Amino acid sequence: MQFEELKNVLVAAAKRAGIDEYEIYYQAEENVSAETLKREISSFSSGVSGGICFRCIVDGKQGYASSELMTQDAMEELVLRARSNAECIDSEDAPYIFEGSEHYGTPQLAPPALLDAGCIRKTALAVMSHTYAASELVGDGTQCGAVSNVRTTHLFNSKGLSLSSTVGMSGAYSSAIVRKGDEAAEAFEFSKENGEEALSALSERAVTRALSKLGGREIDTGKYNVLFDGRVFRDFLSVFSPVFSAKNAQQGLSLLRGKEGEVIAADCVTLIDDPMREGNPMQAAFDGEGVATQKRAVIDGGVLTTLLYDLTTARRAGCASTGNGKKGKYSSPVAISPYNLSLAPGEYSREAQTEVLGDGILITEAKGFHAGADAVTGDFSIESAGFRVLDGKLAYPVKSFTVAGNFFELLKSIESLGDTVHWGIPAVTAFGSPDVLVRGMSVAGK
Amino acid sequence: MLSKNIAEEVLLCAMSGGADFVEIYAEVTRNNRLRMLDGKIESATDELISGVGIRAFLGTRTVFASTSDTTREGLIKCARAVAAATDEAKKIACVRLSERLFPNVHPARVVPTSVDAVERASLLRAGCTAAKEYDSAITQVSGVLLGVDHSILVANTEGLYTTDRHVRTRMAISSVASEGGVNQSGFDGPGAGMGLEFFDTVSPESIGREASRSALVNLRADYCPAGNMTVAIENGFGGVIFHEACGHSLEATSVSVGASQMCGKLGQKIANEKVTAIDDGTIPGAWGSVNIDDEGTPTQKNVLIENGILKSYMIDRLGSRRMGLPMTGNARRESYEYEATSRMTNTYLADGPDKNEDIIASMEYGLYCRKMGGGSVNPLTGDFNFSVAEGYIVRGGRIAEAVRGASLVGNGGDILERIDMVGQNLERAQGMCGSSSGSVPTDVGQPLIRVSSITVGGR
Repeated sequence: MQFEELKNVLVAAAKRAGIDEYEIYYQAEENVSAETLKREISSFSSGVSGGICFRCIVDGKQGYASSELMTQDAMEELVLRARSNAECIDSEDAPYIFEGSEHYGTPQLAPPALLDAGCIRKTALAVMSHTYAASELVGDGTQCGAVSNVRTTHLFNSKGLSLSSTVGMSGAYSSAIVRKGDEAAEAFEFSKENGEEALSALSERAVTRALSKLGGREIDTGKYNVLFDGRVFRDFLSVFSPVFSAKNAQQGLSLLRGKEGEVIAADCVTLIDDPMREGNPMQAAFDGEGVATQKRAVIDGGVLTTLLYDLTTARRAGCASTGNGKKGKYSSPVAISPYNLSLAPGEYSREAQTEVLGDGILITEAKGFHAGADAVTGDFSIESAGFRVLDGKLAYPVKSFTVAGNFFELLKSIESLGDTVHWGIPAVTAFGSPDVLVRGMSVAGK
Repeated sequence: MLSKNIAEEVLLCAMSGGADFVEIYAEVTRNNRLRMLDGKIESATDELISGVGIRAFLGTRTVFASTSDTTREGLIKCARAVAAATDEAKKIACVRLSERLFPNVHPARVVPTSVDAVERASLLRAGCTAAKEYDSAITQVSGVLLGVDHSILVANTEGLYTTDRHVRTRMAISSVASEGGVNQSGFDGPGAGMGLEFFDTVSPESIGREASRSALVNLRADYCPAGNMTVAIENGFGGVIFHEACGHSLEATSVSVGASQMCGKLGQKIANEKVTAIDDGTIPGAWGSVNIDDEGTPTQKNVLIENGILKSYMIDRLGSRRMGLPMTGNARRESYEYEATSRMTNTYLADGPDKNEDIIASMEYGLYCRKMGGGSVNPLTGDFNFSVAEGYIVRGGRIAEAVRGASLVGNGGDILERIDMVGQNLERAQGMCGSSSGSVPTDVGQPLIRVSSITVGGR
């Protein structure tokens, strides 16, 4: 059944069940990808998936149910499952169905098309040959690939709101493994361009980064001045982004509770969420509740200007939703998260910041955030690697150390920002950051 | 789910591109999830996942397509996508399937997804209330009750046609303790390959109290000092150390492509002789157990390391072809949208020769990790890190003050040699393991162990 047909079945079923407040959220996705190994296409895959979520409000309580099985029977049952789930809710939140925003932005990009199988294979093979050509140290285990996906969303609710969008993304990646003697190192790079030049540059970047990690030394435990590569600092933003959720704040799970309007970061820090960021093909004009999205500064010159709200938390706080009530997957409940969250760039080049750093560490890699960082407390202790900086210059690679601290203290102690924002892989939620200089971080090494 | 006739037709269609082997994986899963926060049931969701994945092999190359359209037309379209991508046209006459049954060693009694939400909510409420009432410093409690009813069908061109059903239940509670603007958290999240009868073996209240106990310990702890130390790691979730530091490097996914530090080491000594490590998907009712893996191979007990010697890898069908070694019943996937690959089931270090009290007594100064948090590893280099969820300094052979914010950082190859004492209180604990075939339930486990020296991240 197509969406219109499903919608009609659900509307009729809701009426029969006596449910008059509801929302239908439908998502269909197609994807295709190819990966290489040992200089040939080792796997090729394609997928078609879709699901529908029915959310209803019965006696002020909200229930969800979802299904990938789209038969008439499954739709009838979906309505009853959602209603039965609503019965057990005892949250005092007053959920409601949204009548619609006055104005919705228009994505600047035309709806994308899924790349065909031939193009995907060709791209994957091209990245692979560029990657192997970049250095004779590139070896077994190196995997390159190309991916493409397109996702269509329809939202319809009992207030008559009807919205839809189609977004998608294609790209290529190189996960290069280099070996020298007994030592191996790897690096991953992604590009959403698939022209020959872009693929060559992508491969070059992956191999160069992998090579630069060879010969890493251990480092003594102590306090160090640290320059975080923007590619690393954006991971900090990602793992600590839940602190900006109004829901977490209202529930006592964010230390930013009640801090709107206060200074929470150094003067140089401005943090922006931009749902329509140019350069991210996954642009969003509306959120999972149908609220129009907006570009905004979450931190402006060190001051927390706003948290991120969905309809329920906004109503509780007596403000308007910021359009951040998102659905990760069609079946998931609405949860607050940013779209394209980044620190605004400063004015320093990498070289200038390294020089200012003087004696310290440039951290170019950090892993294990899901285990070593706690958004509730702000504490982190993260396995890292990078380069020792001496006399303002890169001296040698260093590895196997942890950098530890607290995110809230870190925001306050940022000394300067680099001039280039490094974005992660474009997605429904993406993070970006320039290089960030901080002094006196705790480092545990040998 | 999918009749034998349809399965034969779909396999035949997918084979028409010249593949030497094709398999179908069909799935119908009901997941339901209750979330409680601050004493209130906040959300109740339930999902019906339904779809099919078709995979073809040409030697060690694979083509995979998946669809949530399980009508005959949808399946044929999916099979044609597979055939079109395997471009070596070769006709085969027929595929004949015969149904095989495997014994169900993980019987569940009360299917959680069939139980009314209000009734399930009372279980979660009991756990969260016990957590909140544990101490006045507990300011926030959140809990999740998860029920899964997962049915699969596997059919392949070797003639296999079989089904399995797996029921799982888990309750996870997080407590936050606050004092003077400081938040600290504690967690407990046991689960099993059982229905709601699981709570006859572990009470919801005990889960809540354990989460709050741990949060309070952390609240009153100081930051852990950083540096190199001797570390004792307690049983249960402490086994995450082996899971991360070594388990992933023994999966064919990385070994078969040369991206693991364990490549080519079968029969070699890779660990201290006190170390014996096992992956066992057959433990009755365990969280990571299944009757058959997601390629239809019955699970088994695999001794990975015996007295320090590497004995076996964990191998799926593709890994088996690449490595020329038999499959071990470890092929797993999150759903029909993922290709199965080699994954752990219930992986643990076996009991060793040392008395637990001797392990602590042997430490002049070090860290005792009573509870571990999560972690990750790079299979290529073996570098790992994981967080300590509850730790204590050990002084003069005695456990002393609690410390927080510690992490352990090291290398899988090194640490296996440095596990120099292995105790005798093996216990397992539950987790979700993420890798290329998605997120799958796994058990980790071990007795108390001592690591002679490891980098402790703190400040």
